[in-house]
Amino acid sequence: MEKTGPIVAIVDDDPRLLESLEELLESAGYTACCFRSAEHLLARDLSNLDLLITDIGMPGMNGFELRDIVKKARPELPVFLVTGRHEIADQGRVKGVDGFFRKPFDAPALLIAISEALQKSRNGG
Amino acid sequence: MTRVWSYRPQLLHLGLFFAAYVLGCGFAQALAIVPGTGISIWPPSGLFIATLILAPKQSWQWWVLVGCLGELFGNALWFHSPLPAAVLIYAGNALEAMVGAWLVNRVLGRSVRLETLQEVLVFVLLGAGVASVVSATVGSATLAGFGILSQTFSGAWPLWWIGDATGVLIVAPLALVVIQNWNGKAELSAARWIEACAVGLILLGVAALSLGGYLPFAYIIMPPLLWAAVRFEFKGAAVTLVLLALITAIFTISGASQFAGNAESQRHNQIMLQLFLAISAFSALVVAAISRQHQLALLTLRQSVEALRDRERELSQIVNMVPVHIRRLTPEGEPTFFNKRLVDFFGFDLQQLKRPGTSQLVTNIETLAHPDDAPSLLQAVRHAVATGEPYSMKYRMRRADGVYRWVDGRAEPLRDEGGKILQWYAISIDIDDEVRAQEALRDRERELSQLVDALPVHIWSWTPAGELAYVNKRSLEDLGISKANFEDTVRVAQKLVHPEDAPEVLRTSANSLKTGDAFMMRYRRRWKDGNYRWIEARAQPLRDHDGAIVQWYQVSIDIDDQVQAEEALKSSKRQLEQMIDAMPFNILSFTASGKMTYTSKRYLDDVGLPTADIKDFDALARDVAHPDDFPTMFQRASDGFATGQSFVNRFRRRNKQGVYRWIEARAQPLRDADGTIVQWYIASIDIEDEMRAQAALRERERFLWQLVETLPAMIDCAAPNGEPVYRSQQLREFLGYELEELDGKAKSRLNGTLDAGVHPDDVAGVKEQYAHCLATGEPYLRKHRLRRFDGEYIWVETRAAPMRKDDGTIVQWNMICLDIDGEVRMQEELRLAQERLARASQAASLAELSASIAHEVNQPLAAIVANSHACYRWLSAEPANVDRAKITTERVIRDANSAAEVVSRIRALFKQSVENRISLSLSGVIAEACNLVAGEALRRRIRIDIDVEGKLPPIAVDRIQIQQVLVNLMRNGMEAMEAVAGEKSLTVRARRVGSEVQTEIGDQGNGIEFPDQIFEPFFTTKENGMGMGLAICRSIVEAHGGRLWAEKNEPHGARFIFTLPIVGKAAP
Repeated sequence: MEKTGPIVAIVDDDPRLLESLEELLESAGYTACCFRSAEHLLARDLSNLDLLITDIGMPGMNGFELRDIVKKARPELPVFLVTGRHEIADQGRVKGVDGFFRKPFDAPALLIAISEALQKSRNGG
Repeated sequence: MTRVWSYRPQLLHLGLFFAAYVLGCGFAQALAIVPGTGISIWPPSGLFIATLILAPKQSWQWWVLVGCLGELFGNALWFHSPLPAAVLIYAGNALEAMVGAWLVNRVLGRSVRLETLQEVLVFVLLGAGVASVVSATVGSATLAGFGILSQTFSGAWPLWWIGDATGVLIVAPLALVVIQNWNGKAELSAARWIEACAVGLILLGVAALSLGGYLPFAYIIMPPLLWAAVRFEFKGAAVTLVLLALITAIFTISGASQFAGNAESQRHNQIMLQLFLAISAFSALVVAAISRQHQLALLTLRQSVEALRDRERELSQIVNMVPVHIRRLTPEGEPTFFNKRLVDFFGFDLQQLKRPGTSQLVTNIETLAHPDDAPSLLQAVRHAVATGEPYSMKYRMRRADGVYRWVDGRAEPLRDEGGKILQWYAISIDIDDEVRAQEALRDRERELSQLVDALPVHIWSWTPAGELAYVNKRSLEDLGISKANFEDTVRVAQKLVHPEDAPEVLRTSANSLKTGDAFMMRYRRRWKDGNYRWIEARAQPLRDHDGAIVQWYQVSIDIDDQVQAEEALKSSKRQLEQMIDAMPFNILSFTASGKMTYTSKRYLDDVGLPTADIKDFDALARDVAHPDDFPTMFQRASDGFATGQSFVNRFRRRNKQGVYRWIEARAQPLRDADGTIVQWYIASIDIEDEMRAQAALRERERFLWQLVETLPAMIDCAAPNGEPVYRSQQLREFLGYELEELDGKAKSRLNGTLDAGVHPDDVAGVKEQYAHCLATGEPYLRKHRLRRFDGEYIWVETRAAPMRKDDGTIVQWNMICLDIDGEVRMQEELRLAQERLARASQAASLAELSASIAHEVNQPLAAIVANSHACYRWLSAEPANVDRAKITTERVIRDANSAAEVVSRIRALFKQSVENRISLSLSGVIAEACNLVAGEALRRRIRIDIDVEGKLPPIAVDRIQIQQVLVNLMRNGMEAMEAVAGEKSLTVRARRVGSEVQTEIGDQGNGIEFPDQIFEPFFTTKENGMGMGLAICRSIVEAHGGRLWAEKNEPHGARFIFTLPIVGKAAP
């Protein structure tokens, strides 16, 4: 029986990015759950999630909206926002937000941030 | 002598008088107690006086003569006096009777009834006392003179006087009674008879007792005597006295009486007897008279009382029965009496109205007067009571059944001599009916007045002298006159008449006033607006009983509309007559057997007189009808004549000029009451023009038909339910089948043709819209593909519209189907070009473009980063997970290729492709570019001034790339003017300069800060810019063999200029 690490949900409309992030997280010992859209994620149970990484620019519900909804259900859940559009990254509303990454992101930095966030979340819990 | 005879009493009376006189003489002789004198009571003196009193004076001589005979006869029988002495004595007796009668009559008048004391006293004094003196004196003197019985004058006179007086007292009353009541009826009742008998018996008994003894006892007779006198009055007294005298006489004669006796006392007794009788008679007569007088007085009193009672009852009845309510009030106004009528009216009397502690007046008024009237009535009564002034008032009183009735109440005070009020007498008269009648009258009068004012007529009244006395309100309103104008009434009335009508109106009205005949005229009267309106005026006099005219009443009715209508009618009738005269009608008539009976003048004018041999319908028809039309026409007419049905024929008829013209002849039979045809009437109208018009119409229709058939359009007609009923030749040829070929299938014509003809992709939409239009009547318009006979689908535009009747119902759908295949294909190309343009315009913003490029590249890059790091981790793991590392490496390769593709796609976008270049005029490209930015310019409130030289030579360019250059430069210019206030304009100019076309885009922004650097890649002055736009633009322009540079614009701003070489010159 394989040991299961913390569960990290990934939401992105680009399947290539989902695959790559899944690969990265699994290589780091996390269990990755991939969703093609925010709606797909919200359709399932959020309670066993340990962390959420979501793209911002998606058809349908965008990353900000998803974060707001999830935060209502799980205020303590760490949420990372990722975007390929740098003009979004320049907007005021993401400035100073922890866990914000531009594509292409720095993979080791992401893993460290995840690790720290989970650590913090566990300590807080 | 005659006179004496005419007063002779009846012989019977004279005889009786004679007998009674002789009897009296005998009676006197019998009572003559004193011998030798023969003188005692002398009854004849009473008889004589009574007779003369009652007899007329003129007859006295007769009675004196008969009395003389009676006395002489008595003398011969009993007295035996010498004749001269007897005559003298009689003369004395007659004289006594005449003196006595004369005196009594003189004093008492003619009717001596001895019913009063006065009469009795006069009678006793004069008749008995004074008259007896005459006789006594003459008789005593005679006796003394002749020495008869040796009597002295003084000795005989008293006896004689008292004897005569007693005779008068006793006999005269009886004689008066007997003579006066000779024919009188006995009026005594049974009781009175018994009483009379009782008195008689007592009298006899007492007389027998009293007269037999001592003289003073004789007066015991007095009580019954007086009883009789009291009870039976004069008659009783008379009878009783006679009885008394007789009894006395009997006793005297028999000698049993006190008056009989020796000679010594005889003289004394004689006197006593006579005195007794005289006193008795006197007493009885006086008492009888007093009794009688008392009785009369009693009777009178009783009658008076009776009369008073009657009077009172009568008054009481009057008070209760007069139809007036009467009440009596105290001086303070408190009611004390209601008459019966009032009690009946109220239903209760005064006692029932009494309430302790309250004024009866207040109670009465509050209870019985109408609540509305009570206060004023109370006040009126109190005022009257306080001042003593009478009051009069009308008010309502409540009747027993609760109904209030109007009464007229009045009260007057009754005052004593000192003026003090003793009573108030109040009456009230029921005037309810009058009041209601008056109210009804007033209502009626008001109604009449309203009626008179409300009637839509003018009502005037005139005095017989012709002066206007009354004008109703409507007249005043209509005519605009006021009552003040009536001073000169006739002139006012005249002014209202139309001047043309005035003389006649005046003449007629004057005539009516003079003769009294009713007035009736139609003329025009002026209304207040100055217009004259026709009226019909009627006036009639009201006459009194004598036939004299009291008043004239005039009613004027506005008949203007009627007159106008009549005018219109007349005019209309005239027109109709003229029209009928002018009507092109020919009339013929035939008998039932077809024999011609009448031809109208117009017929003769038109067709001419038939020849002599033509006498019936058949011959006429053969003669005038066109040979081609005759068989049909004749057949129809024959059928009509045979069946009696009306018929119509249209045929050509030859006229007088020999020309055939179309006519329409209508034949109608006239039938009598039995239904038998009497006559046929045929009216014919010339319909040549109509027939020509019809022919023209047919020709026209044929023309239109051909038009429809030959039009280069496909035409289709459908029934209101959409089923096709007609298709033009064009459509039939296009489809390749006839309409009828659709029949007999399972589907309807409509569905059959739609399913067979319309492109499968379009058929649903077509059906839906068509059904909608059929249901709503809306016009139909749709483009779709239609299958041609060769199986190819061709774009068509189908339009359909409903043809409606006057009432709006759809008769038919008319459809036109146009081949628009060429247009649709052109449009498709156009659409594609537009799409390309749109894409170009999207790409035109190079800033956005670069952002998109970045994103496109970032995605695979991010995947590559993640995958390669994962790969590294898999390989770094102990033991290394080579399988996963292999997979991730494959993915890295895949994503890297993907990123490379993105880059090459971008490269392709800006590829300098020569094969896309076409030769065109720049003006079109500029116009397109301007259109692309027009929306943005409008939003930014920037005017774009285009100045393109006409006839620019063609240049070989990639249209899209040059458009991008233009749009990019224009957007830059507009963005540069973002901060500029006031009017903003962008100038686009193109002109030929040498062998090139030079294009300038000028703005009025802040100008260019770094003119040398702006064309370098990634140099940007914009916040969101990537610095690629101008670099790309320059590369595009240079790829086309041109140049792009910037200059300063005047007065401020920047100008970007690029050149492109003209085709012929630059081409290799």
